[in-house]
Amino acid sequence: MAISPVVTYDATSNIKVTATKAKSLAVRTNSISNAPNAPPSKPEKGRELAERLNDETKQKYVKDKKLGEGTYAIVYLGHLRADHSSLLAIKKIKVNTEYRDGLSMDAIREVKHLQELSHPNIIALHAVFSSKNQNLNLVLEYLPLGDLEMLIKDSEGIRYGTAEVKAWMGMLGRAVWFCHENFVLHRDIKPNNLLIAADGEVKLADFGLARSFSDPYRPMTYQVITRWYRPPELLFGARFYSGAVDVWSMGTVFAELILRFPFVAGNTDVHQLELICNAIGTPTEENWPGVSKLEGFLKYDKAATIPVRGKDFYLSKFGTAGPVGVDLLMSMLALDPRKRCTARQVLEHKWWSSDPRPTAKEYLPKKGGGAERMGEDLKRRGGEIEDGRGEKVARKLNFDVGKS
Amino acid sequence: MSQMTEDDIYRTSTQYRLWSFTRESLASLRSTTNASAADGVRAAIRSQRTGHAGSGTAREGSNQKPSDPSKEVDCLTVEEEQKLVGFYCVKAIQFADFCEFPTNVKATAVQYLKRFYLSNSPMTYHPKEMMAAALFLSTKTENHYTSLRSFASKLPKTTPESVVAPEFLLTQGLRFTFDVRHPHRGLEGGVMELLALAHGKGQADPESKRSSEQIQEEMVDIQPAKESSKKSRSADDVVRRIQAAHGKAKEVGKSSALLTDAYFLYTPSQIWLSSLFLADEPLTRFYIDTKIPKPSTLKTKLITTLQACAKLLGSSASANPGEAEIKALTKIDKKLFKCRNPEKVDLVGINKAQKRDSEGTGDNGLDEKVIKKRKMEREKSEKEAEDIFGPTLAKEPK
Repeated sequence: MAISPVVTYDATSNIKVTATKAKSLAVRTNSISNAPNAPPSKPEKGRELAERLNDETKQKYVKDKKLGEGTYAIVYLGHLRADHSSLLAIKKIKVNTEYRDGLSMDAIREVKHLQELSHPNIIALHAVFSSKNQNLNLVLEYLPLGDLEMLIKDSEGIRYGTAEVKAWMGMLGRAVWFCHENFVLHRDIKPNNLLIAADGEVKLADFGLARSFSDPYRPMTYQVITRWYRPPELLFGARFYSGAVDVWSMGTVFAELILRFPFVAGNTDVHQLELICNAIGTPTEENWPGVSKLEGFLKYDKAATIPVRGKDFYLSKFGTAGPVGVDLLMSMLALDPRKRCTARQVLEHKWWSSDPRPTAKEYLPKKGGGAERMGEDLKRRGGEIEDGRGEKVARKLNFDVGKS
Repeated sequence: MSQMTEDDIYRTSTQYRLWSFTRESLASLRSTTNASAADGVRAAIRSQRTGHAGSGTAREGSNQKPSDPSKEVDCLTVEEEQKLVGFYCVKAIQFADFCEFPTNVKATAVQYLKRFYLSNSPMTYHPKEMMAAALFLSTKTENHYTSLRSFASKLPKTTPESVVAPEFLLTQGLRFTFDVRHPHRGLEGGVMELLALAHGKGQADPESKRSSEQIQEEMVDIQPAKESSKKSRSADDVVRRIQAAHGKAKEVGKSSALLTDAYFLYTPSQIWLSSLFLADEPLTRFYIDTKIPKPSTLKTKLITTLQACAKLLGSSASANPGEAEIKALTKIDKKLFKCRNPEKVDLVGINKAQKRDSEGTGDNGLDEKVIKKRKMEREKSEKEAEDIFGPTLAKEPK
């Protein structure tokens, strides 16, 4: 448990890890234990300590232009008051819109988990403050180079190969491993939640659907993860699941990076399952013991059952990844979540140490997504698919007791 | 290969970065908070006496000379604040049990209250109102969401508005950190390890060169938890002993671990090990020996820390306050009635006003009607405040 299997490409990576963390910790607000040092007897006796600390944080940042606005949040470009060259994204969460029960679950989830997770492949939350009308503002690191979806779709302008896919997947793998190591399920991994920093580093963003691992026997909702990236157990209505759900999403992103179009893109949940059966195989008691007991299990005709695809099938479709890469892909897309590899096993896979070496991040293909793209990405609510990429998936989270 | 230990990960948590203290820094923070709240109360009451009541003018009120220094308000001491907050932490546990919320929901709610009152005083915000808000917020952060309406209906004299009105203040006081790391899961893991050892399936540190069977046999010979307890004779006895210690440690984890300052002073692993230490010291020492077989400064330091933490956990008053304590609490609450900050009594009104302000009129756009209405609301709730504490206390069992 103690030793991280984080894959690093070169000797400098370790140093960068520490440097990024140190930076994000330093930018974050000071410890409350420093509070007594703040002069308590300023001429503002009516003001309370918490309020003053909040104002101190707020004063550190300046909002510039608006980058995007959605129903859930407004995203601004911003900078540090003390340093005009510093760039930041400030996400102002709209409080009290349709939701009357106080702070919304999306906001709580995002703030709760991003406050805890500091890792070079997870979007850094530098600070949180409130404006006087009780709106929450998240100060996030600025990621100006768009997201993986943009790169995947621009098959005319952007060319990349296995070495690049390996670099991106490595960064995604480390982000997911770190979430799981901290007992957090992301539950919305997809290419447009993978943002790209100025130096080419991939950062996992949007924690609006994330949650801590459930205790044994405590049910969770299965209405999570954008459909194309959702694993079969959730489509069958499983209420007890693990990090394996994120690993499946990672597998579908891997496949999409190679194919340059979504691997299994269903129009409805039933259609999604049908596509999974065709592409990977039909879930049965033989290849997935216990599957028929899941609430939403759909029985398939014996005659129509498609046997689980073998390595030849994957090699013909994903041959560019090489036999070792295909082996990793197959283990991420195992139907039975218990047979699927864990995030740790993903990082321990021999694909990373076999040829070709992953491209160094400074040589990865880039496409200027610009500030606006980040605005678009951050204003979204978890589980939404952008217009023009399949129909909108309205999120229906079931917030019944104990099932979120 | 870079290495990251569990300790490294814990040190990145907000619980470590923002909510861990030494005894001294904790005491100093509390006394600063108390002094600054007392100043606020005195200023607000003075400005009210001089006839400048109303939330708009009160802030400037602090610049005025006290009209009658002999009538200076008698404010709560840090100890009195602590007692009061402690009482509402117990209340929070009782309400959570009544609503059948899981352990993590109630444990988080109690820590929210304790964290909030590090930078806020009960003289400014009454813990009764904050308690409901903390419990509701923790149902959301701990994934046990209950609709506000049904939540409010379970608490006496509580409306949905009064539950969420202080929520914003609460989140600000929590410095927008919602994650609380608990000792409960760690305890389960430790007990599983102990049971594996007792079943002859466990492993010790390779340095100790003991086989699983050897450890299993040695466990039978661990000296009893108390001199009066029976000696184990078989592996089954050892299993029963572990189960008994588990039960006791779990109780500690649900009561004194939450109610004392343990979370501020110790890490979750120190807390669960100390709970086990309190329940069965020889067994816990044996367990630690399987991890760190040889004497070392680390081991000495660990044992010293566990002893100090166990002492804290063992010292806590019972979860049900006795008659004398109730009397003392009633006295504190009577005193509080006279030293509450009059500007902060009506949280529902303040909350509404803040939202209304943000909707358009701007800062100074409050018209006479609104001010008058707010004043009336405030006076009404001040009247209600008189019986805020009494009746609930009287109903207290035993």
